[in-house]
Amino acid sequence: MSVPLLQVEHLSKHYPIRSGLLGRRATGTVRALDDVWVTLEQGETLGVVGESGCGKSTLARTMLWLDEPTGGSVRFRGETIGKNDLATLRKEFQIVFQDPYTSLPPRMRVRDIVADPLEIHGPVDGETIPQTVERLLREVGLDPARAGQYPFQFSGGQRQRIGIARALAVNPAVVCLDESVSALDVSVQAQVLNLLRDLQQRHGLAYLFISHDLSVVRYLSDRIAVMYLGRIVEEGPADALARRPLHPYTVALLEAAPSLKRSEPARIALKGEPPSPSNPPAGCAFHPRCPMAADLCRSQRPELAEWLPGRRSACHFALDVPAILGKAPV
Amino acid sequence: MIADPTLPETTTVASSAGAGAQPSLRRLMGEIRQRKVATAGLLVFLAILLIALLAPLLAPHEPLKQNLGDNFLPPAWKDGGDWTYPFGTDPLGRDILTRLMYGARSSLIISIGAVFVGLAIGLVTGLVAGFYGGFLDTTLMRLGDIQLAFPFVLFAIAILAVSPNRTVWHLMAVLGISSWVIYARVVRSRVLSERNKDYARAAQAVGASRWRVLRRYVLPNVWQAMVPIALLNLAYFVVVESLLSFIALGLSPPNPSWGSIRADGRQYMMVDPWMALLPGFAIVITVLAIGLAADGFADILDPKLTQGAFQRQPLTSSMPDSTIAEESENDLLQVRNVCIDYPAKSGTVHAVRDVSLDVAPAEVVGIVGESGSGKSTLGLAIMQLLDAPGRVTDGALLFEGADLARASNKRMNQIRGRGIGMIFQDPGNSLNPVLTVGYQLAEVIRANRAASGDGIRTLARQSLAAMNIADPDRVLRAYPFQLSGGMQQRVMIALAMIAKPRLLILDEPTSALDVTTQAQLLAELESLRAEHRTSMLFISHDIALLAQIASRIVVMYAGQVIESGPRDTVVANPLHPYTRALIGAVERVDAAGEERLEAIAGDPPDLRIVQPGCPFAPRCPLVMDRCWTVAPPRIAREPGHEVACHLYESPGSKEIAA
Repeated sequence: MSVPLLQVEHLSKHYPIRSGLLGRRATGTVRALDDVWVTLEQGETLGVVGESGCGKSTLARTMLWLDEPTGGSVRFRGETIGKNDLATLRKEFQIVFQDPYTSLPPRMRVRDIVADPLEIHGPVDGETIPQTVERLLREVGLDPARAGQYPFQFSGGQRQRIGIARALAVNPAVVCLDESVSALDVSVQAQVLNLLRDLQQRHGLAYLFISHDLSVVRYLSDRIAVMYLGRIVEEGPADALARRPLHPYTVALLEAAPSLKRSEPARIALKGEPPSPSNPPAGCAFHPRCPMAADLCRSQRPELAEWLPGRRSACHFALDVPAILGKAPV
Repeated sequence: MIADPTLPETTTVASSAGAGAQPSLRRLMGEIRQRKVATAGLLVFLAILLIALLAPLLAPHEPLKQNLGDNFLPPAWKDGGDWTYPFGTDPLGRDILTRLMYGARSSLIISIGAVFVGLAIGLVTGLVAGFYGGFLDTTLMRLGDIQLAFPFVLFAIAILAVSPNRTVWHLMAVLGISSWVIYARVVRSRVLSERNKDYARAAQAVGASRWRVLRRYVLPNVWQAMVPIALLNLAYFVVVESLLSFIALGLSPPNPSWGSIRADGRQYMMVDPWMALLPGFAIVITVLAIGLAADGFADILDPKLTQGAFQRQPLTSSMPDSTIAEESENDLLQVRNVCIDYPAKSGTVHAVRDVSLDVAPAEVVGIVGESGSGKSTLGLAIMQLLDAPGRVTDGALLFEGADLARASNKRMNQIRGRGIGMIFQDPGNSLNPVLTVGYQLAEVIRANRAASGDGIRTLARQSLAAMNIADPDRVLRAYPFQLSGGMQQRVMIALAMIAKPRLLILDEPTSALDVTTQAQLLAELESLRAEHRTSMLFISHDIALLAQIASRIVVMYAGQVIESGPRDTVVANPLHPYTRALIGAVERVDAAGEERLEAIAGDPPDLRIVQPGCPFAPRCPLVMDRCWTVAPPRIAREPGHEVACHLYESPGSKEIAA
């Protein structure tokens, strides 16, 4: 078996809670990310889903070493990443942000925004920087004649295309899409998702796609990891996971997304908010909101285990979770 | 219909706003023409600066040349005056005009130089402190605090009093050093906010060094804040420089300065007051000119300030007859042929064009459309809260029979809150950050006289509990920032519901929230509707979301209603190609595998242009020749289901008179 592009083991990110007058005393720990194992293959999309505060952005940021993890290791093409490798690795990891209005510098022209990574890392083989900029703008569906304009002269969807062009400029291996379509109109989301899929096929990119909306992630992802309170609670191939979830939280996420086709009431409607990651409940972290919770769930934390081939779930009753869209074959 | 994303988008929005070389310069010239007072100030200052710089060429005499035979000559317009010395001479027979010109030279050169010295030191320390933080930041900023604790004029006097020789350079340095803290503080705070912006992060993710991020991304945004501060600082230095030379701590004599000329004249106030008054005028005029220029042009750098104050003006024209005649009296809200314009320099934006819709009691009507379709503008217009300069130009907004577009401001204040409530997308901006939720609820309860005394707290708790908030006491004690976005939005709705409005306008209330929170909020809104019979106008870009809560759906495009009808009919049998595309775009949950998502190519149209045919024609997959030239008629297909599209023109369909 070939070496995965990115391999994450035991990855943790803990933030101390400081209190006292000068904030010097650590009085607790927020486990934003706790013992996460996950892999990303060449050319693959891994979707990471969960509610605000579940640690999905922290996972992406530590996986790409934008934040240093507290524990665990990240291997890129088999090599463990350390602090000193970052200068060379930086160009392999790119990120496309959520907000198309704040993620582009307001007083720079589009051509300078896209050219900036090239000026840092040098031009691509056989192309001058202006040629690369023109090619990139065409690739993301923008008119190169508008390269002299400023971000405010573009619509939200177009700005997100500029952000994608900037991320692709240095031929990265992995692009992290951090809620990259969440701020766009639904109709524009579809355009951008189609574009992302085309670019992936053309360049063999691996995507780490983060969103709170499972239905958005599902379209682009090969595999999906569902996160809750800093841990992965379910992980598996996108289609199988959406057809037959192995965790009640996945069911809840699937049913929360508005759909024009579904008419029956949600079976697992979430109530309230996730508990604080500084003080997680005993047993299964999801049990206070879970309609299936039994005594076992309140006392013993379920491990992420392989219940079906290629399907991991951290639920004591994974196989009893109700199927979503009919009882599809696994 | 499959869109090709590699095609250039066909937008025209903004491309006319200046794809050219220097849009900002052209804008600047436009702004200068707009501000007469500020421009006058700027011109006067530039004239004084020019005179100062060209003093050796313009001055009629030598500044230091004494002519004791001609001393104490009065100005030319007084008896005994002489045009050889237009402003007269001083006790040593030196020409006062010449000395004033040379005085301007030293005053302005010292002041401008001092501004640059202060700016340079402040910029460097501010950047270093802001970007590196930690120990360097603490040390530099504490140094600044210590310096600020002294009155800086005293500090300057103390240094200059012990300097044996005071040249232009000395004065520049002393004044400059005394002012760096102001710049350093502003620069530091700007750096702190800019370097955490997504675009600075994005640059770091690309691998840009700190220095590069600072230079390319942070500095351009810092400059803008510096210009007005530097100008005001300049005016201040002109005063301080003259003060220092007045008390003989300015330039070493005999070099003239406005302050020292004034000091010379002071002794002869009774004999010849002009000697002291003229340099005084010069100082006042210069400071005034700089002040006017700084004040007038400061807001060019902040485009948000140029919008003008909010002032609503009720529509004065009489209501069109056709709007009153209709008999649907049980409708709570009747929007009739409403048009809304935003006049702008680059052309009037016709944001809402001839829109009509009804909301019945206890009904939820959903408005769907892309950004720029006019849906939010319509919501704001109903509340009569349009941002200036936007205004309703035609039509009527009938709420319980009264026209809001023609209602007085006093009447509108009574209707807002009690008659109609409004919820916006970002609850974090709608709540007061420094007051607890409980305090804000109590304020609204008192204002509405909904309860008094102990009842206030009970009612506050009940109103939160009605929004399914499990722990109302904790939320009452909390400040808004301690709550999640979903919780903040629940608080906003609870606040709005205290006045028991008959209509609630919700503008993308869940778009900033997680899908799970959105699902909860929809359930809570539905129970509010059932319990209080509150009507709702729910605005969203997501038709699937509206299908869950609205009983009727109105589709807007380019400021027009292009389709409307009962929810089930519109969703099951969408007529307009745009509505079909919107529905196609949300069918994601089932779109799996290799299939492409249906997308609508291109962007919404430029709302400044009113084209003759159908506004959707440039993006429509089923476009026909007629669509480009003839506006589509509104056609009723089934009861209550209307569409504006040429596809449905047939003998069987009934056209509705506009």
